[in-house]
Amino acid sequence: MNEIMLLFVVIIPFIGGILIPLIPWKNRKIMCIFIEAVVLVNSVLVWLLLTNRPQESMTLLKFTGNLSVTLHVDGLASVFAGLVASLWPLATLYSFEYMKHEENEKPFFMFYTMTFGVTLGIALSANILSMYFFYELLTLVTTPLVVHTLTREAILAARTYLYYSLGGAAFAFIGMIFIIVYGRSTDFVYGGVLSVAEYPGNVNLLLLIYVLAFMGFGVKAAVCPFNSWLPKAGVAPTPVTALLHAVAVVKSGAFAIMRLTYYSFGTEFLRGTWAQYTVMTITIFTIVYGCSMAVKERHLKRRLAYSTISNLSYILFGVTIMTPLGLVGALAHMICHAVMKICSFFCAGAVMYKTGRSYVYELDGFGRKMPKTFGIFTLSAFALMGVPGLCGFISKFSLANAAVQSGNVLAYVGIAALLISAILTAIYMLTIVMRAFFPRQDFDYETIADVEDPNWMMLVPLSLFCVGMLVIGLHPQPLLTLFETIANGLF
Amino acid sequence: MNDTISLLLPIILPIVMGTVLFFMKPMKSRRPVLVYTGISLVATAVLIIPACLTVEKPIVLFYLTKALPVMLKLDGLGRFFLVMVSVVWLLAGFFSFTYMKHEKNEKRYFAFYLITYGVLVGLGCSGNLVTMYAFFEMMTIASFPLVVHNQSREAIMAGLKYLFYSFFGAYMALFGLFFLCRYTNTITFTPGGTLNMELVAGHEGLILLVAGLMILGFSVKAGMFPLHAWLPTAHPVAPAPASAALSGIIVKAGVLAILRVVFYLVGPDFLRGSWVQYMLLTLSLVTVFMGSMLAYREKVLKKRLAYSTVSQLSYILFGIALLNPIGLTGAFLHMAAHAFIKCALFLCAGAIIFRTGITNVDGLTGIGKKMPLTIWCFTIVSLGLIGIPPTGGFVSKWYLATGALDSGTYVFQYLGPIILLVSALLTAGYLLPVTIKGFFPGEDFDYVSLKKCDADAWMAVPLVVLSVLSVLIGMFPGGLVDYLTQIVGTLF
Repeated sequence: MNEIMLLFVVIIPFIGGILIPLIPWKNRKIMCIFIEAVVLVNSVLVWLLLTNRPQESMTLLKFTGNLSVTLHVDGLASVFAGLVASLWPLATLYSFEYMKHEENEKPFFMFYTMTFGVTLGIALSANILSMYFFYELLTLVTTPLVVHTLTREAILAARTYLYYSLGGAAFAFIGMIFIIVYGRSTDFVYGGVLSVAEYPGNVNLLLLIYVLAFMGFGVKAAVCPFNSWLPKAGVAPTPVTALLHAVAVVKSGAFAIMRLTYYSFGTEFLRGTWAQYTVMTITIFTIVYGCSMAVKERHLKRRLAYSTISNLSYILFGVTIMTPLGLVGALAHMICHAVMKICSFFCAGAVMYKTGRSYVYELDGFGRKMPKTFGIFTLSAFALMGVPGLCGFISKFSLANAAVQSGNVLAYVGIAALLISAILTAIYMLTIVMRAFFPRQDFDYETIADVEDPNWMMLVPLSLFCVGMLVIGLHPQPLLTLFETIANGLF
Repeated sequence: MNDTISLLLPIILPIVMGTVLFFMKPMKSRRPVLVYTGISLVATAVLIIPACLTVEKPIVLFYLTKALPVMLKLDGLGRFFLVMVSVVWLLAGFFSFTYMKHEKNEKRYFAFYLITYGVLVGLGCSGNLVTMYAFFEMMTIASFPLVVHNQSREAIMAGLKYLFYSFFGAYMALFGLFFLCRYTNTITFTPGGTLNMELVAGHEGLILLVAGLMILGFSVKAGMFPLHAWLPTAHPVAPAPASAALSGIIVKAGVLAILRVVFYLVGPDFLRGSWVQYMLLTLSLVTVFMGSMLAYREKVLKKRLAYSTVSQLSYILFGIALLNPIGLTGAFLHMAAHAFIKCALFLCAGAIIFRTGITNVDGLTGIGKKMPLTIWCFTIVSLGLIGIPPTGGFVSKWYLATGALDSGTYVFQYLGPIILLVSALLTAGYLLPVTIKGFFPGEDFDYVSLKKCDADAWMAVPLVVLSVLSVLIGMFPGGLVDYLTQIVGTLF
């Protein structure tokens, strides 16, 4: 594959997106087919790229000296790009149905499709400057999606989102400058680029910068105390909350932290320092905090958003173990959580779309009326809890295994946090399942007579996610082998 | 290949049959559901026989990851568990044929009853820790609809309590699983333990902590203090045959898991004399006493029986904690005896509720005149639970007490038998009043309006069979004891 394809996969969604409001569509159906075609073609191109990897990198812009915006495929990039490319077409299909009863579809789909390109840009960035560039761009193209409904709540949420993201990016910027000044190069090289030996006096400064940059990128990954934008952003339409706020945007933050930790600062430099303990403590705290808030929350989507906060910190916890196995666990949870959470969000979306109900206590008896949706929701709940046989168990096992092998006592505490979080997950997910399937004895099904399962456009993505959860849960070895190769810097 | 099929069939068959039943269209009459369930139950029980007789080698079904094979293996303990499960499951199942007449949603009940059966068979056949953990989680999920069956507010709250306690325990155990994967040679169950002593050296404290957590975690299912509170809430709200199955068998799954951890992974030698052993001894004795006390002052019959389960299960855990062959034999014997006895007691309570609607012990005056057969069975198994010879409870308690005296665990070797005796006295105190008041209602009892309303055949046969079994174990324990001694012999 030619490296020019790298440029194409980033640009195609942009062009496709801009065309959506420009073309005068005769009917909605053709527009939908066009959008789906653009997304699908792009996904196929991404997969072709990943399977026949170009060795060269592709420079888009050159600033001065060694500063450039460059794209390149390596192991870590292919995991994230592959994940995004697999989920986007399904989420788009789902959103055609979901957006039917919302206004302003065209700008929505424009930004939705453009985000695909930007996320791929983050995944395929070859150096820290390119990543920063796409990272800022991501904030800009996703803000219109949050503000979409134009209610007061949405505008406030978008404002919070902007402030947090831009503020985080500022910290990340500081980190970037230090990498540019102290690093041998700005490219991502497994093992890090810092030449610490040349600056013996600055170790503590660099560690401090690492923590700052971690927190900066951590804003997108909703690390406590910078998490409050995520539940608020739940006012966006469900396809946005499901795909962007459970996968694309938030995992860009996690992905950036992986790059920062393993490819820029380097784990050799960080492992065993106070910086590692600081960030690990933060992630452990967030794991428990997110779940506790989810238990407290009664709005369905916001509850899932809090659950995302907790699960993102699972990934970051894996990163902060700072061993190759830790990266394996982090990548495994990145993939598994993406599938599980998008699945549960889509179920929540289906409920909101079909019935307009969005609070947990309104879901009494829905299990009988929407058996498919709630069956799938139950499966995703079990997966999130980590029942063996589903994908959540695999990623939890990988994370815990990494923590045990690292011999780090704080990481043992992290395992305990994972399990406390698992029991809290059981509480906040199963109470929903309970209500849906076992309403109180005298429940009158007549009150929800109008409730029914959604159509195939929603059910097909949901069923595919179910298959995904089962396949990864039962036969994860190829995936884990791939991650191990990546985490040893061989791929 | 043949082995694989003969082991997999009894696991898969009831699960598939149950799932199919669940998704079947509602039927007008209840007869087809009963016939279907009956055939499935019997077929599974029959299929277990060749599995128990022929399969020797471990079977790896597939690998979750390189380190986590899903493995089935039937060893002595597994066979013992399977037989116990099958007897109770079949009899309680037949009992439900009549009992469920007055409950709604029969189809769902029987569907999950079948699924749980399959999962329990899988639990018994599990060959390594991760497989067992998987079935353990599935068991919680599959048995949950049985608990919340009548969907009253009380049942749903109890169901949630059951779920969250169970998951809490399971996650504590999972914590241990992560560590044992690293510090053992293999997570396949091997008599005597598989700790990798080279790796463990220097980390003994950690491994003890992990073992302690796993034991505590699995003991949630076995209703040990301090995590017992779900049991007296959840068991009584289920329909009586389900309570019987829960109290007779599901709690034993916790015991099975503890046995697997203590004797097949960590090894008794590693634990002997450690704080983990003393913790388990202390907690089990506290539970024995506390459970009996609580049962003694409880007025609702099914709740009383549930507290009694709390107490009796800790007899078994006490036997395990002694970490010597005789105590362990006693634990095994008490597992079997208690399974049959507690199942029978709950079924009796169910028959009483079904026929008369009485749930409270005080309302049972003269019940023996109305339902003589039921109360006779109740009396016989009560004597068994108290431990009066020649019933099953006597033999097991004898072994437990002898084991305690031999164990060399300082104060516990005397304290243990004393508490067992006190608890036996309390057991008599909470069970016999039913018999006494039932048969001797007193002079002012209204004999005129008395109507006989004893259990019908579907109810009576399981009761009689269980009572006879509980006596037979006590009168002819020889064969069983030989078999158990053989198992125990491999463990020390």
